[in-house]
Amino acid sequence: MLAYMLRRLAYGGLVVLGVLFFLFVLFFAVATPDDIARRALGEKARPEVLEQWKANHGYDRPLWPWQSFDDNLLFDHYRRMLTFDFGNSDADDVPISRRLREGAGASLSLTIPIFVLGGVLGVLLSLFVAFFRETYIDSMGVFLAVLAMSVSILLYIVGAQYLIAKLLRWFPISGFDPDPAVILRFLALPVLVGIVSGVGGDLRFYRTVFVEESSRDYVRTARAKGAGELRVMVAHVLRNGLIPILTRVVVAIPFLFTGSLLLESFFGIPGLGSLTVDAINGNDFATLRVMVFIGALAFVVGQVLTDLSYSLADPRVRLE
Amino acid sequence: MQGDRSRPDRPDRPDRAGRPGRPGERRLRAAGKGGLFGLAAALAVWGLACSNNPYPDADETRAVYYTSISEAPRTLDPAKAYNVTAHAITGNVYDKLLEYHYLKRPYELIPSLAKELPVAEELPDGRVRYRFVLREGLVFAEDPCFELGGEGRKTREILASDVAFQLSRVADPATNSPVVDPFSNIQGFREFGKRLSEAREADAAFAEKPLREQYEAAGGIEGVATPDDLTLEVTLAAAYPQILYWFAMGFTTPVPWEAVEYYDGVSNERFDDHPVGSGPFRISRYDKQSRIVLERNPRWYGAEHPEWRAPGAVYPSEGEPGDAEKGLLDAAGRPLPFIDRIEFRREKESIPLFNKFLQGYYDSSGIIKESFDKVIRDDRLSPEMAAMGVRLDKSISPGVYYLGFNMEDPVLGAEGGDRSRKLRQAISLAVDAQGWIDLFLNGRGVLAQTPVPPGLFGYDPDYQNPARVLDRDRARELLVDAGYPGGIDPETDRPLRITFDTPSTSSAQLLRDQFIADGLREIGLDVQIAATTYNQFQKKVKDGSYQLFFWGWSADYPDPENFYFLLTCDMRQSQGGGPNTANFCDPEFEALFERMRVRGNDEERMEVIREMRALLERERPWVELLHPESYALLHGWLDHVKTFGMSFPMHKYRAIDTEARALARDEWNRPVTWPAYALAAVGVAIVLPGIFTFFRERQ
Repeated sequence: MLAYMLRRLAYGGLVVLGVLFFLFVLFFAVATPDDIARRALGEKARPEVLEQWKANHGYDRPLWPWQSFDDNLLFDHYRRMLTFDFGNSDADDVPISRRLREGAGASLSLTIPIFVLGGVLGVLLSLFVAFFRETYIDSMGVFLAVLAMSVSILLYIVGAQYLIAKLLRWFPISGFDPDPAVILRFLALPVLVGIVSGVGGDLRFYRTVFVEESSRDYVRTARAKGAGELRVMVAHVLRNGLIPILTRVVVAIPFLFTGSLLLESFFGIPGLGSLTVDAINGNDFATLRVMVFIGALAFVVGQVLTDLSYSLADPRVRLE
Repeated sequence: MQGDRSRPDRPDRPDRAGRPGRPGERRLRAAGKGGLFGLAAALAVWGLACSNNPYPDADETRAVYYTSISEAPRTLDPAKAYNVTAHAITGNVYDKLLEYHYLKRPYELIPSLAKELPVAEELPDGRVRYRFVLREGLVFAEDPCFELGGEGRKTREILASDVAFQLSRVADPATNSPVVDPFSNIQGFREFGKRLSEAREADAAFAEKPLREQYEAAGGIEGVATPDDLTLEVTLAAAYPQILYWFAMGFTTPVPWEAVEYYDGVSNERFDDHPVGSGPFRISRYDKQSRIVLERNPRWYGAEHPEWRAPGAVYPSEGEPGDAEKGLLDAAGRPLPFIDRIEFRREKESIPLFNKFLQGYYDSSGIIKESFDKVIRDDRLSPEMAAMGVRLDKSISPGVYYLGFNMEDPVLGAEGGDRSRKLRQAISLAVDAQGWIDLFLNGRGVLAQTPVPPGLFGYDPDYQNPARVLDRDRARELLVDAGYPGGIDPETDRPLRITFDTPSTSSAQLLRDQFIADGLREIGLDVQIAATTYNQFQKKVKDGSYQLFFWGWSADYPDPENFYFLLTCDMRQSQGGGPNTANFCDPEFEALFERMRVRGNDEERMEVIREMRALLERERPWVELLHPESYALLHGWLDHVKTFGMSFPMHKYRAIDTEARALARDEWNRPVTWPAYALAAVGVAIVLPGIFTFFRERQ
């Protein structure tokens, strides 16, 4: 198992290196160090101020190793990321590690409730519709789930802001304040949108798992022995349906830290997703590469954790 | 198999109500109770969270002014901060030696930390000296950084040397301040920066010393002296009357050396994020990604010395004509500020921002294009908005948008002589600026006749530039005179091709450019739009490969010099990257500019400006388009608001009727809860029959 994990991690390392390379190529294909400096300093900045800024931030060096092997931006990019030397933001010179610390709290306060409540709700609803399979409750559940899956999250966001926040006035339209007196107000709507936009897919998938499990021999045996329906669903079907659920859930855990790009942006939550969008809009290469790097690491960790969870949940699975 | 481990359920037992039941049903009822409990818990959370008020309830009746910022400030270091967002903070936190009169137009400087406006003293060798005398007993806002000057110290007196220190920081190449150019009029300003750089390069130990010691060791700026603690003498190498405007900006605010040393050195928290000033407000919370809070500074001179009745510490009793009728003089003579706190909330999207204004959670707002027709009808506030008590404040921003010609281009530029001049004149007459304003700005703009906008000395409301009327027939005649009859280039026998270079690739901008290009095509020219990103455009400008371009400028300070300098030889883009993107350089204009630049605001200066504009009528390096007009919406509870135009926050003059605001918010924001109950009821009504049918059939 250890050898397997090491092999997976090594593959993951290659993925991270590749992601960093593509980020560098794509970023500098559309932007130049001048763009970065101009965004940081504003349109009125004089050329000598731009040049000084580039020198101060190391962007006066050539991009590629064949232009200068000893001192180029690509090698520096790898060196910094692989040693976790994140440096300062190009937009305002704030240390990026500080920004990550500040943003993680806001992101987690949004993503954890969505993850936990959405997960629980998805499982409960799918158990419910699976229990009533082949009735109109089941058909309606599946229909609504497919409908919910088909709608873009953007529509949920704008619709919720208009209907729930503007017309019904239940929650603020957007914003964030960690003050305990008001934080629930700010989180309620984005959490609701996060749950509703995700629950359709969960419901459809889990229901399929549960219905499949319900028709297995051991379930019939349990019923034959007189087990009640609720016990059958919870103690037998749910338990055995856990493996595919785990794959879906565990892979998402590392991404809780990277936040939600759209929800944070539209609801004005100053988390890491919002930070990423700001970095893209502001040509802030230093911050963007850190967020992409963390995203790539989260992906690799998610994959490895999923594999691990397989073997823990199902003794028949051996990692070799 | 795990399922095999299941055991038969226990025999039937009566439930709590004494009814017998099947085990499945009983558990389902238990689950149903759990579900109900969950529903009740969800409703409780919803009840707790159910309010659209983004602020703590305790702040409901406090004099807090709520406003928004769209982006986080990059820096609050007053030597570097140079955009509207940063100025909104630094302008409140840092007081300057001088400031602007709130109400008077044309804009007028008044003393702030200085006792009075300094008078230019001409020295025999042509240099000019200004002597600022600071008020006695001014202190900085309390801050932990002052412990550096002595244990237990929370503040200290403001000295002239604090202004000198800040000027040295502006000159310091390591600060990379964006305004070194105008301050280079101070004698020895650039030389000081150069000495500093050389000393740092020569000696690494020197670079490690505290900044204050480095500046002292480098000998300071030659033209900046502090003969005593409260006197600052600034000597200019030559006359530059506009320097006084720079002393109303953050670049010249007193900065305590302790703050820079403490936050950039000892605590490593960055001076960029920790302003320590002496303004009417101080920062109490700086979470720049979401919320910035300023509160009253109890050590502000207006608060500590109300008996001074200093012009910057009491509400003005004079304004421009019409101000009294608008109620802008009602608070005359009252001590400032009127509000206790300013809350800046970050709003990246304009629609939520505008909706929060409509809910009463922001005190003022601009008008988003999506709602323009709902808010404004026939150039007036719509009845719905008026019924809410909202007021519309229109003001002309001191800025100008224009089309420029690259005067170094062989076809359009100076070397083409009269032929090119006539071509430029023809293009000038073919541009429909009013149509452009109506179509793309909802009419928000004033046709520009010269570079100088209204509200500044040199603006003449009666002047109509004969080169800026829409007269395409005359334009066609001029094309004939220029040798391009019908727009046809005789060399190629095809319409003369001109590239229109624009620094934006957005589809909205493309439509705007298309409108202008279409106007020029009507007189027969073949105008090709070359839309690029801002930096690609900059590169084209640097290489000189552009012909016609769209550009704008907003005033740093309210003087015609700040607009006409955009057409001077020294500022040519091609020579040193200056803002004269048209690369216009005309000896006659240069001489007139020099006379205008050093002259005070009098009839002779106006006469020179008339000569300059006559020259521009003829030469046409620019086609002036418009001065932008801003529309602001103000709630009825917000008082004493006069839009200032330039990037100077005037929050200390604003007042809020908190009771009226609380009442309006309460009325506008009662939650509508019945749909939640209706939805829950419909859900239950749909699902319940199915559940009952299911169990009945199974029985």
